Amino acid sequence: MAGSGTAQLRTGDALLRVEHLVVNFHAGPRQRVHAVSDVSFDVLEGETLGLVGESGCGKSTTGRAVMQLPRPTSGSVRFAGQELTALKRGALRETRPQMQMIFQDPISSLNPRRRVVDIVAEPLAIWGRGGGAERDAKVREVFDAVGLDVDAAGDRRPYQFSGGQCQRISIARSLMLDPRLLICDEPVSALDVSVQAQILNLLADTKKRYGLTMIFIAHDLAVVKNVSDRVAVMYLGKLCEVAGADDLYEHPTHPYTNALLASIPEPDPQVRPSTNGAGLAGEIPSPVSPPSGCRFRTRCPRAQDRCAAEEPQMRQMRPDHFVACHFPVESPVSFGATRSTASNQ
Amino acid sequence: MRARRDRQTTGYPAAPETSGPLLEVADLTTHFRTGRGMVRAVDGVSFSLDRGRTLGVVGESGSGKTVLSRSIMGLLPRTNVVRSGEVRFAGRELTALTEAELRDIWGVEIGMVFQDPMTSLNPVMRVGRQITESLRHHLGVDRAEGRRRAVALLDSVGIPEPEQRLGDFPHQLSGGMRQRVTIAVALACGPRLLMADEPTTALDVTVQAQILDLLARQQRERYMAMVLVTHDLGVVAGRTDEIAVMYAGKIVEKAPTRTLFSDMKMPYTEALLKSIPKLADPSHTTLSVIPGRPPDLVNLPTGCRFYPRCPYAQQRCRDEEPPLQEATTPGHVYRCWFPVGTPEGRDALDRNRREGRLDAGAPVAPAGA
Ligand SMILES: Nc1ncnc2c1ncn2[C@@H]1O[C@H](COP(=O)(O)OP(=O)(O)O)[C@@H](O)[C@H]1O
Ligand SMILES: Nc1ncnc2c1ncn2[C@@H]1O[C@H](COP(=O)(O)OP(=O)(O)O)[C@@H](O)[C@H]1O
Ligand code: SF4
Ligand code: SF4
Ligand SMILES: [Mg+2]
Ligand SMILES: [Mg+2]
Repeated sequence: MAGSGTAQLRTGDALLRVEHLVVNFHAGPRQRVHAVSDVSFDVLEGETLGLVGESGCGKSTTGRAVMQLPRPTSGSVRFAGQELTALKRGALRETRPQMQMIFQDPISSLNPRRRVVDIVAEPLAIWGRGGGAERDAKVREVFDAVGLDVDAAGDRRPYQFSGGQCQRISIARSLMLDPRLLICDEPVSALDVSVQAQILNLLADTKKRYGLTMIFIAHDLAVVKNVSDRVAVMYLGKLCEVAGADDLYEHPTHPYTNALLASIPEPDPQVRPSTNGAGLAGEIPSPVSPPSGCRFRTRCPRAQDRCAAEEPQMRQMRPDHFVACHFPVESPVSFGATRSTASNQ
Repeated sequence: MRARRDRQTTGYPAAPETSGPLLEVADLTTHFRTGRGMVRAVDGVSFSLDRGRTLGVVGESGSGKTVLSRSIMGLLPRTNVVRSGEVRFAGRELTALTEAELRDIWGVEIGMVFQDPMTSLNPVMRVGRQITESLRHHLGVDRAEGRRRAVALLDSVGIPEPEQRLGDFPHQLSGGMRQRVTIAVALACGPRLLMADEPTTALDVTVQAQILDLLARQQRERYMAMVLVTHDLGVVAGRTDEIAVMYAGKIVEKAPTRTLFSDMKMPYTEALLKSIPKLADPSHTTLSVIPGRPPDLVNLPTGCRFYPRCPYAQQRCRDEEPPLQEATTPGHVYRCWFPVGTPEGRDALDRNRREGRLDAGAPVAPAGA
C-alpha cells in the first residue's frame, strides 16, 4: 500500500491469518511511531511467506506482533484457529511452543556463558517436557538436523563458533519444541554469501523435514525469492504487493516493487545498473508522520493528486496477485536498471 | 603542495600528469603479531591501477580486504605489524613516508570512505566545518570560498538543501545522508584516488544503488581512480573495470570485469558466484554451497589455500602452492593448477565427482585425503 485492504486473504484454512494489524509505539510527548498500519496477510500450512522491504518499514514489528511480543495496538491474529489477541496470559503462553523466532544476529541472541548443548536443550527444561533420555535424544536429533556434531560441539560456548554455526545453533534450539510456525527475522543478513547459501539450504531442508510453516523476513529480494512461496512487499508500515514468489518477480506491478528490483546489484556485468539517477530517489520518510494517502507517494515516480488524497486498497491484478496502488505498472520494469532478458545457465 | 593548489583552483584535473599507473602495489605483505601467532592478513599482493579506472576487491569477510586498503594508505596500528613490499602512488613510494608526510596525502590525494560513516566523521563537529576544515587546511581557501565549495560539494553528492545541512551534526542525518557527507568530505580536496571500503554494506538496497551511482558519476567527472572493496560480487559486477578476488590474504584471480564473469579460471571465484541466489532463478532453487570456512590466517594450509574446500582439488594442490599465471585475456591472472573451463580442470572435477569426494554441497571431504 502503501495501502490497506484484505483482498489478498484467501478463503479456507490458513495456519495464520493476520487482519488489520496495527502497531504504534510512543515516541515522546504526543508522538506516535506508526510502525505497522493496517496490515493483513495469511500463511497456509506448510507455506513460506517472504516479507520484504527497506529497514524501518515494520518487518520485525510485524513478526513480533504475530507472537504477541508485545501485543499489537489493534487487529486480529488468528493462529491455528485461536484468536491470540483475545487470549489471557496463561492461555497465550500455552501457544508459545508452536511459534518460534530466529534472529539476524546469531551470536548475541545466544547466552554467551552457557554450553551450546544446554542452550539448545533449554526450551525442554523451561516447558518441563520429556525425561532425561528423551531430552538427550531430541537434542541429538536437532543437532543432526542442522549439521552439527553434538559430541564435538556441544560442550563449547557460542563465542567459539562462527556466525553461520551460531545460526545453526539458533535453528536447532527453535526446533526443540516441534513448532508449527517459524518466524525467521533476517537470519542470513549478517552472513557471508557462502555461509548464507548453507543456511538457506538448511532452512529449506529443515522446513521439509519438520513440515514447518515459515515467515521469512529479509531486505534482499533475491534471497526472499529463493526461499518463499509467496511474497509480501512492505513499505512504511503498509503492504504494497502480495503474490506468488515467481509471479511477483515476473510481473512486478507496484511502483515500489519495481524500484526495489531495479536497485538490486546483480552479479552479472551484462545487467547495467542505472547510472542516470533513474532508480528510486530519496529515503524512507519517518513513520512518526507518514505521508497522507499512499505512503509511497513522496518517492513514487507515478504519483498523482489522487495518491495524496486517497489511500489505495489491495485489489487483484492477476490470479493470486494483489497490489495496493492507484496507478499500477502495467508492463513490468518502467524505470531503473535496464535488465537484459534473464539468462538461465 | 603548490601543484596541488593550482590544480584545485583551476577546477578538477583534466589529464594525467605523470605517465604510468597512478597506483602500483608490489608484493605487499601485512602481518600482525598476536598471542596466537602471526596473522597473515595480506600476503604478497600486487596490482596496478591507472587514473580514472576502478578496481573492485571482493572476498569473504576476513580475507584481508580492509587490511589491504589500510596498508596501502599506511593506516595501520603502530605496533605488532610487519609490513613489506611497495606502494607507489603518483610516482612516490608511500611506504617510505613518515606519518606527517602521509597526512598530506590522506584526504587530499587519496580520499577514503568506510562502511561506517561515523569512523570518518567527527561526531561533535558540524557537517559544514568537516568539509571546510580540510579545504582550508590543505588548499588554503578562505572562509567564504570554503563555504561556497562545501555547499557545492553537498549539492553534488545529492544532499537536499545543502546550505541548511552545513549546520547539522552527523547524528542528525540518516545513514544514507551521512555516507553522502563522508563522500563529500573525501572528495573535497579533489583526490586522484578514492579508497572505498564497503561503502554501501550498511545501507538499504535502494540507498546503496543511489550511493554507487553517485560514486560512479563523481569518479567519471573527476577522472579519479577508485578501489571499491566489497564482499558482494553484485556490487562490483556493473561498476568496475577490473576485479581482484581475494582469498586468505592473497589475490587468487584478477581480470577485467567482463572476463572475470564470463571466463573465470579460479574454482573459488566460480563457487562464490554460484552460491549467490539469482533473481533469474525460480524460487526454491537449491544453492550450491562452498563447504566449510576460510582457513585460519595463523595456520594456513600448505599448497593452495582453497584446497580444503575446493571441488576441483587434487593431491598436487595440497603439496604445491600454485603460482600466479596468465590467462589468454590480457590482464587476467589466477592461481590454480586445475583451472575452470580447461581440460585439466574438467578432469579434476570429474574425478572428484566420480569418487563422490567433494561434490558441491557435500560435507568437506578433501580429495586426496
Ligand atoms: N520499541 C520501539 N519503540 C519505538 N519505535 C520502534 C520500536 N520498535 C520499532 N520501532 C520503530 O518502528 C519502525 C519499524 O521498525 P522495525 O519493525 O524494526 O522495521 P524493520 O524490521 O522493517 O527494519 C521503525 O521506525 C522503528 O524505529
Ligand atoms: N590489528 C589486527 N591485529 C590482528 N589481526 C588483525 C588486525 N586487523 C585485522 N586482523 C585480521 O586480519 C584478517 C583480515 O581482516 P580484514 O582485512 O578486516 O578482512 P576483510 O576486510 O576482508 O573482512 C582477519 O583475520 C582479521 O582478524
Ligand atoms: S502511483 Fe500513487 S498509489 Fe501507486 S504507489 Fe505511486 S503514489 Fe502510491
Ligand atoms: S584446483 Fe587446486 S589449485 Fe585450483 S583452486 Fe582448487 S585446490 Fe587450489
Ligand atoms: Mg528488522
Ligand atoms: Mg573489511
